[in-house]
Amino acid sequence: MKTTVPVIIAFLSGLVMIISFFFSSDTGFIGRLEPEILSWVTIVGGFTLLLGVVSIVRVNYSTVKRRKEGWGYKLATLISVFVIAIPAIIPPSWSSIFGVRPGSIYDWLFNYLDAPMMSTMFAMLAFYIASAAFRAFRARTTEATLLLATAVLVMLWRVPIGELALKNIHPGIPELINTYVMNGANMAVQRGIIIGAALGAAAMSLRIMLGIERTYMGK
Amino acid sequence: MIWLILAYVLLALAGIFLLYLTFRTGDRRFIYLAVAFYVIFPVLLTLNLPTEISPEVRQLYEAVEALPDSAVVMLTFDYYASTLAETEPMSRAALHHLFRKHCKIVTMTTIPLGGPSISERVTRDLAEEYGKTYGIDYVNLGYKANYVAVLKGMGSSIEAIYPTDNSGTPLAEIPMMSHIKNYQDVDFIYVVADNGIVDYWMSIVNAQYQIGVGSGVTAVMAPKFYAYLSSGQMTGMLGGMKGAADYEQLVHHHGTATKGMAAQSLVHLFIILSVVAGNIIFFMERKKRGGGLQR
Repeated sequence: MKTTVPVIIAFLSGLVMIISFFFSSDTGFIGRLEPEILSWVTIVGGFTLLLGVVSIVRVNYSTVKRRKEGWGYKLATLISVFVIAIPAIIPPSWSSIFGVRPGSIYDWLFNYLDAPMMSTMFAMLAFYIASAAFRAFRARTTEATLLLATAVLVMLWRVPIGELALKNIHPGIPELINTYVMNGANMAVQRGIIIGAALGAAAMSLRIMLGIERTYMGK
Repeated sequence: MIWLILAYVLLALAGIFLLYLTFRTGDRRFIYLAVAFYVIFPVLLTLNLPTEISPEVRQLYEAVEALPDSAVVMLTFDYYASTLAETEPMSRAALHHLFRKHCKIVTMTTIPLGGPSISERVTRDLAEEYGKTYGIDYVNLGYKANYVAVLKGMGSSIEAIYPTDNSGTPLAEIPMMSHIKNYQDVDFIYVVADNGIVDYWMSIVNAQYQIGVGSGVTAVMAPKFYAYLSSGQMTGMLGGMKGAADYEQLVHHHGTATKGMAAQSLVHLFIILSVVAGNIIFFMERKKRGGGLQR
């Protein structure tokens, strides 16, 4: 029963979405089913967020309770979850500091704590890439040499000083990079990856609908 | 100008010296110091380097330019705070262009953490500058969970997916939304994103509802979307800070992307210098050991 019911739900949901694609949502029962199911999906999506919060609280709370290694960080995580979530959940009709509008506690925490922290973490990549460029990017093989040469050309092409330098060598070089590197080799490879991924997604959807793929049930 | 060239020469020499120190001591902090130097110096000097407009950026600009006045444009804020340096200038440049053309703008996000805050802050900033009124000239739909269902569902009814806007006002009470029911009432979709959502905008919205989609994406994502540009599915693209700087130039509003290009130029050149220097050392050491290029 625990397996059969989810498989039936997955099969019917998938089937409705496939069939309703061929019908207008303005006419017919099947056509009208699609927006109905999509509304359900967004509601279920909201509950998955709640499930995520429950999961993070459970995992971190048990570590804090047992004073396992790094429990202080877990406590900081738990405090952060509640400090940012609770004022956002309380309706703004109570006070303008609640909810998610500009001027609310959530908005302030996001703009002055979360956003700078996330930006800082991402900005640190520039330092690591520069260090890796000096210590690890080696032309050990012919393929690696080709990759490095292409990367250097594209990096030059994407910045004003580099573009100017390339143009001084030959005015047609930036256009050549755009035509043969980005719209040539790169595009061909990307197209192959996109088509391959789409076929894989279609196959996976079919496996889920037919009940062959059951990892989403934890099996 | 002479002073500027002299400053660049000095910076290049400093970079070479710091790389030499890294090589001698094995301490990578000298490289970190060089990167910090190259980022801070051009920002302090506020250099505005002119860029050659990329064809895909011009294509997006011309697509927006070709829209009739008061056209309905959906502008998305599908990015996290971590990529604000690249993506926010794109949103700002897009809003300059759209507000100047008196387009009706519907903003939305598929990012739960901060997406609504970013869209609210950026849109209100620009709306005040152009004297636009909320609910008449622009609407912020905010965030809804499960983006695939959101993108697909808005094809049937925007109100079914977003019964209220970001502030909780029912869409039925917002004048601008009275004639915007689904994608059929939207003239163009301008996606600014830092994640795989762009693929869904293409495969669900562009392919199934035949609406023009243009995008602004981070530099690392841009190569992927040349496939959509080449097939004509995507109508123009802003790739990374360079794309944002190009667009700022086109809308005659030099913002943070144009300023950032000078820092990005120096850091790119330093990384190229690091690659070259690292490989020279590698080949010299291998020559000593008597090795050759592997196949």
